[in-house]
Amino acid sequence: MHRGKGMKFVGDSRVPDLSNRKKNTPKDYSEYPGKTEAFWPDFLLKEWLVGAVFLVGYLVLTVAHPSPLERPADPADTGYIPVPDWYFLFLYQLLKYEFASGPFNIIGAIVMPGLAFGALLLVPFLDTSKERSPWKRPLPTGFMLLAIASIIYLTWESVVNHDWEAAKAYGEIKEEVSVEFDETSEGYQLYQGSSCIGCHGNSFEGGIGLPLVGLEYTAEEIVEIAHEGKGGMPGGTFTGTEEELQKLAEYITTLQPAE
Amino acid sequence: MLNKIYDWVDERLDITPIWRDIADHEVPEHVNPAHHFSAFVYCFGGLTFFITVIQILSGMFLTMYYVPDIENAWESVYYLQNEVAFGEIVRGMHHWGASLVIVMMFLHTLRVFFTGSYKKPRELNWMVGVLIFAVMLGLGFTGYLLPWDMKALFATKVGIEIAASVPFVGGIIKTLLAGDETIIGAQTLTRFFAIHVFFLPAALFALLAAHFIMIRRQGISGPL
Amino acid sequence: MSNNKVSRRQFLSYTLTGVGGFMAAGMLMPMVRFAVDPVLQKKEGGDFVLTEKKIADITEVPERVDFTFEQVDAWYKSDITNAAWVYKEGDEIIALSPVCKHLGCTVNWEADPAHKNQFFCPCHAGRYEKNGKNVPKTPPLGPLDQYEVRENDGFLEIGKAIPNTLV
Repeated sequence: MHRGKGMKFVGDSRVPDLSNRKKNTPKDYSEYPGKTEAFWPDFLLKEWLVGAVFLVGYLVLTVAHPSPLERPADPADTGYIPVPDWYFLFLYQLLKYEFASGPFNIIGAIVMPGLAFGALLLVPFLDTSKERSPWKRPLPTGFMLLAIASIIYLTWESVVNHDWEAAKAYGEIKEEVSVEFDETSEGYQLYQGSSCIGCHGNSFEGGIGLPLVGLEYTAEEIVEIAHEGKGGMPGGTFTGTEEELQKLAEYITTLQPAE
Repeated sequence: MLNKIYDWVDERLDITPIWRDIADHEVPEHVNPAHHFSAFVYCFGGLTFFITVIQILSGMFLTMYYVPDIENAWESVYYLQNEVAFGEIVRGMHHWGASLVIVMMFLHTLRVFFTGSYKKPRELNWMVGVLIFAVMLGLGFTGYLLPWDMKALFATKVGIEIAASVPFVGGIIKTLLAGDETIIGAQTLTRFFAIHVFFLPAALFALLAAHFIMIRRQGISGPL
Repeated sequence: MSNNKVSRRQFLSYTLTGVGGFMAAGMLMPMVRFAVDPVLQKKEGGDFVLTEKKIADITEVPERVDFTFEQVDAWYKSDITNAAWVYKEGDEIIALSPVCKHLGCTVNWEADPAHKNQFFCPCHAGRYEKNGKNVPKTPPLGPLDQYEVRENDGFLEIGKAIPNTLV
């Protein structure tokens, strides 16, 4: 194509004349030496075949494992143990170590990731040798392998130290349970004065503990659970008398979900 | 018919050289897995781009139902996943794609690193690539909050606290990200939405364009 | 002038840069100010919440005081009820946050008969001393937060939570 002053004008347009145009014919295959091939259509077809297989796997994944959704965010609920998306886990784990947390938090949060990112960004200027084979430049290769190993190790540590089942149970979407009750009743007064309210919520809606609405226990069973504990709930935290506990348990059995 | 339309446009705009350059460029043997199976490592960049395209498309369609508002965000995500036909698949593509794109990009980075392809004259393209990596991580971080469920909120709280630990300007960064000095709430969600859907994708497009133009300009690095 | 000639082309380039800069600034300035507004917004003075607790009634034994405040999150307003454990240390009034530093349960004063004079968290038996210091070898990792306090007309006012200053 002609450019600048060499441009041939066709009428009032600067698009070259038809006779000066590049022909719309693909390059002759003899122009590709050896096993080199044209991008379109030879290579792209192979790439898209790989892409098609990949896409099928991908779609199967989306159907087999629906994306998780926990219950709506509740900023007031501080009992949740946060965990970032998996590819940030190694950073998250780093902040748990003593040399990178507390007063040294800045080392783990800013200095180390910053240095690593800066080094990665400037690699072409740090490793200026002409050698390209990884075997012939042991330092860059070594540093990269070390970095990969530490990322894998930190991610692994983070994964095994997180209580996934507890987090899952805690984040699960729960049915709204609401119940109408009389705040002046003796049962509620007992409930309010006990430590039960701390976990089971001001309106029995649950929180750290499960909701107390529509339980299928008898009063005797509730008394026993209060004494012995159940699941993650510790026993023996009710500090009142035995009669009070009995009254409270009977009161709880009367709580049924509102229509 | 199609040929006639093509000729009609080409006569006026001379479009042939634009796409012929891309179509005819040569793919050397050493990157072609059909000749050496180990050359499959050269596919990771293309797969990263493929997933990126899926992410852009699925993201565009997700905003047809999604609302970035603390009272409705979760409801809208729940609705689009459970009530809308194929909602599970579209959200699934966006959700799993976000992870896969990181994996593919990581592998692509390692391939470029270990083949020493960042060396002269490709320094600039490597740096653009690292910036793309950073933008992708930013997209992952901001996108995580949008469903507004428990783990979204608390992971973001932790992330913002980490940002807040930057000396001197940490407090300002935190407020800029969260939209409020103490509350992670309505303004945080709208900000993250804007960053996730407009600001970072804009940066990503610019960087991707630079990445591809440089590859076409320099060609693929030679065999080891 | 003669030894500092500005050519026509240079002059036009500088002017172009100047006009371009003006256009960029004119476009971006309102947008940037718009975006950074949360940083520059002035904090409201009335951060303290009036409680129904009389200063004169506060003793050396921690007592639970509930207080409700309106949280304004941009266009959302919500009532949030928090509690504090309030006691006197000499002349000073101390208000501790009841939120356990382990998993965020609510701690109670002397709730465990075996450990008098301590805060106790029923969830995993975390314990804190009276000044909020976490008892070692119990689950919590740090001391209870403290609230800023002040007096208003004989009643207690509670401010925002700050890291514990007593430990």
